[in-house]
Amino acid sequence: MVEIRWHSRAGQGAVTGAKGLGDVVSTTGKQVQAFALYGSAKRGAAMRAYNRIDDTQIINHEKFMLPDYVLVIDPALAFTDNITDNDKPSTKYIITTHLSKEELIAQIPTLQDKKDRVFVVDCMEISLSTIGRAIPNTPMLGAFVKISKMFELDYFLERMKKVLSKFPQKIIDSNMEAITRAYNEVN
Amino acid sequence: MAEKYDVQEVEVWDGNYAAAHALRQAQIDVVAAYPITPSTPIVENYGQFVANGYVDGEFVMVESEHAAMSGCVGAAAAGGRVATATSSQGFALMCEVLYQASGMRLPIVLNVVNRALASPLNVRGDHSDMYLGRDSGWIQLDAFNAQEAYDLNLCAFRIGEHLSVRLPVMVHQDGFVTSHTAQNVNPLKDEDAYAFVGDFVPHEEMLDFSRPVTYGAQTEEDWHFEHKAKQHKALMDSRAIIDEVFADFEKKTGRAYKRVESYMIEDAEVAIVALGTTVETCILAAKQLREEEGIKVGVVSPRCFRPFPFDKIREALENVNAICCLDRSSPGGAMGALFNEVSAALYSTQKRPLVTNYIYGLGGRDFSIAEAKRIMKEQKAHADAGYITTEIQQFSGLRGPKLGFFETKRR
Amino acid sequence: MQGVCATDKRGSKELGSEELVGWDEVMQGVVVNSFEGDATDIARQKAEERNYSEFSSYTATVASWRVIKPVYNRDICIDCQNCWVWCPDTSIVSRDKQMLGIDYDHCKGCQVCVEVCPTNPKSLLMFAEHEDLDKALAQWPQKEKKEK
Repeated sequence: MVEIRWHSRAGQGAVTGAKGLGDVVSTTGKQVQAFALYGSAKRGAAMRAYNRIDDTQIINHEKFMLPDYVLVIDPALAFTDNITDNDKPSTKYIITTHLSKEELIAQIPTLQDKKDRVFVVDCMEISLSTIGRAIPNTPMLGAFVKISKMFELDYFLERMKKVLSKFPQKIIDSNMEAITRAYNEVN
Repeated sequence: MAEKYDVQEVEVWDGNYAAAHALRQAQIDVVAAYPITPSTPIVENYGQFVANGYVDGEFVMVESEHAAMSGCVGAAAAGGRVATATSSQGFALMCEVLYQASGMRLPIVLNVVNRALASPLNVRGDHSDMYLGRDSGWIQLDAFNAQEAYDLNLCAFRIGEHLSVRLPVMVHQDGFVTSHTAQNVNPLKDEDAYAFVGDFVPHEEMLDFSRPVTYGAQTEEDWHFEHKAKQHKALMDSRAIIDEVFADFEKKTGRAYKRVESYMIEDAEVAIVALGTTVETCILAAKQLREEEGIKVGVVSPRCFRPFPFDKIREALENVNAICCLDRSSPGGAMGALFNEVSAALYSTQKRPLVTNYIYGLGGRDFSIAEAKRIMKEQKAHADAGYITTEIQQFSGLRGPKLGFFETKRR
Repeated sequence: MQGVCATDKRGSKELGSEELVGWDEVMQGVVVNSFEGDATDIARQKAEERNYSEFSSYTATVASWRVIKPVYNRDICIDCQNCWVWCPDTSIVSRDKQMLGIDYDHCKGCQVCVEVCPTNPKSLLMFAEHEDLDKALAQWPQKEKKEK
């Protein structure tokens, strides 16, 4: 079982990202779960979304998890939210930031003993310059594919095209570019 | 003619979307709805299916849930296949009309996405609304995940519309935990789903002008009791049809449903009885506990909450030593409903197992595997002692001083 | 079977006189049919031509509820249909917009028809239930003069 926790603001697409990831993963024959803790939350409120991935049907419905991956798609949440909640010695962090990895870790005490498990990528800049809007969820998927080694990039892009097939070609193309750039730039 | 929707063999759908697709595939004549969280996406998506030509029926936006169910009653009496969805406060507002629907023997399908009842206002999942519908004369089926929400909707039409049943059916799923959690779902193709549900067969429909009928008659003390008794018997007798439809569904899909679901119960010494997603969480906990500590735990759930499977609950649990019934609804000055009903069923067995009650998860409070295991181990302690060692009703996941009520008199 | 346009069926049984059967014999959902046989053309038939079922209130009588009754005076009536519109029990019988009289099987003596009658003197007046119709008509009041 792989467990993923997304830290996001309502409206940034963490739920869509989690579901999109679920869609792609399901095409590989695996079982997925994608959910979020929201409800009355309004646009801009800090929220969390979750994925579970397994080979057999997922019957665990608790919200609690020990994440294998923590994906932070809003730059400020790395500072204001407890992104290291319930982590494991192996938990990997992918954090959206314009800072370098060293600059970021220097400012966040809880990350200092996890240097080798922290990865950074500027999903905000990537989404603004490719998609034209601050929707950092798709670039985060590209970064996740790279760090998790769960899929080959080309395979993931092909599957993602199918998930996005109801959108105009221009939007599909820009999303593909965002995923590819994040895949290449995450470090 | 409605357009065919191209469903994949495996979809990643949440419970709401799965239910909306099942409604679409059943080709309903009238959906009258007033959306409410967390059931909103069911009718929202259904409305989109209608607008995009995937459904031939009517979608009626009304001014309240009372009107939504009233519209459903009217349309069902007129002779159409009818469904809607609601939650919580909306369900409460529908309540008056729920009794009308069942009393008039109208096979409406109502998706209830379970949510807490105010006050205090809360949008998240517990079973307060499901319990509120307990005496309304509806068949109540309970889904534990999105796949089941889809499957049980298809079954619900078959069961309710069966001419020897002719009763309305609720399909319950947990708010957010099922309704907003996307999981793998294997839907049927449109034509297969419709073939399973079948054409709607009108019965005593108001729009048959060759034989006009009156719905909603008044009966006083000289007739009312006989009508209610007949209705109750129909609900009790629906058990056989539910079994039949579930068996047919299994033949079609390989997915088996039973009025009482039981897991690892054959050799179980202790058991948990629960509803909704908690059932699956408990299965996982029971498996872990069997591996880790060798405690033989089983899990039992009334898939069909109404008609209450008194017989099957007894069969499933009579050889277990200690049982905990988990109730996800504030019991309002009583023991939890599941505790009461399971205890009543077990009272007429030889062994009369020890039964305790936990109130848990109100307003969407998380129920963890760790907590499930703790409760299971507590049952093991009761079983080993031979009596209930704690208070009979306790509270799980509640902050503050320990709360509990009543001690056993059987030691 | 009292009053104008009465048939053998109209008001043929006292309301509540039906046989009390057990739960196994009552009809499902209390869905009651109003007519015997095919009723496709029912909208074009007059009440006295329709084949009402025993579940229709047409076949029941509530005449015994009444202690005072309206009496109709054809000589004064202007066929305005006001009483027909207002009667809560469809007990004013009118055909081709001409007032014919009262269905005494279903009239409960509420007096609404008298209240809404616009003629002077009124074309409908209340009398004791036992009063003979001819005697009632014989004591009809004169036109009231308006006071200036």
